[in-house]
Amino acid sequence: MQATKSFERAFLRQLLRVFRLSAVSYKSMSLQERKSAIKLSADVAMASARGSRKWTRGLIAKLSEEDEHRSFLRLILGTEYERLTKPCHGSWKIPRSKKIVRRSLRVCSRRKNNLRAPHGVKSSVLARTLVEKRTHALKRLVPGGESLDGYSLLDEALDYVISLRAQADLMQKLLTTFEASKLSALSKCTLPERKASFVGK
Amino acid sequence: MPVEMSSRRSSSRISDEEISELISKLQSLLPESRRRSMSRASAAKLLKETCSYIKSLHREVDDLSDRLSDLMSTMDSGSPQAEIIRSILRS
Repeated sequence: MQATKSFERAFLRQLLRVFRLSAVSYKSMSLQERKSAIKLSADVAMASARGSRKWTRGLIAKLSEEDEHRSFLRLILGTEYERLTKPCHGSWKIPRSKKIVRRSLRVCSRRKNNLRAPHGVKSSVLARTLVEKRTHALKRLVPGGESLDGYSLLDEALDYVISLRAQADLMQKLLTTFEASKLSALSKCTLPERKASFVGK
Repeated sequence: MPVEMSSRRSSSRISDEEISELISKLQSLLPESRRRSMSRASAAKLLKETCSYIKSLHREVDDLSDRLSDLMSTMDSGSPQAEIIRSILRS
């Protein structure tokens, strides 16, 4: 599964736009500050390109916790910032979530080797506890995940992973392009060609 | 975590198929599952590998931010490379 081309394009567009806007302040920044600014830019671009999802809202909310980030976010996102930070019908939990977690446990264990004899109550209790522990861990890793459960959590995690993968890939491509520009500084290669090679056909 | 019992019942149930599909999609993304047999997957393992993968992606992006910020520092110089980067950003 991969991120859509339109997401990649929107992400690149936003990222370049953000870099363009922030480039002027890079001069006065320390290395650490610049690194944080770029990480922030990449996250904002990713959330903005993806649109409204539980995790993008969670991410924007987390980034907004710092005062200095908030004005930057408003600048980059414009009216989208208000839309993404608007409370989303509270944090209602899906009532059937516990049933779904139990059902997904059953679906998963159906794939297991049937020869494995059940060890009675203890091992299944342990298995449940392990699942609970790891579910909590996942909730902390997925932005906005704290208010999600079961199916929604996995659904958001899936989307988040796809977007993170795209984020890393795009940043790598950007890096490669910039590094290659060192070699092609004197070449006759035109700019539009270089940019087109980015997002693919 | 406190158990919140909601009195609201949604009319649309999520089917076993939808759950299976979601789990498959997630598994297909995880790097480890491509090497190992799918049949050994358990909920606990799926969650663990998803968490690991997210963490490793975070580290990757962190590292790329590092390298990009090194590169951006050449923006203030008058080198041909800086000019090219500037023109890419302008386009």
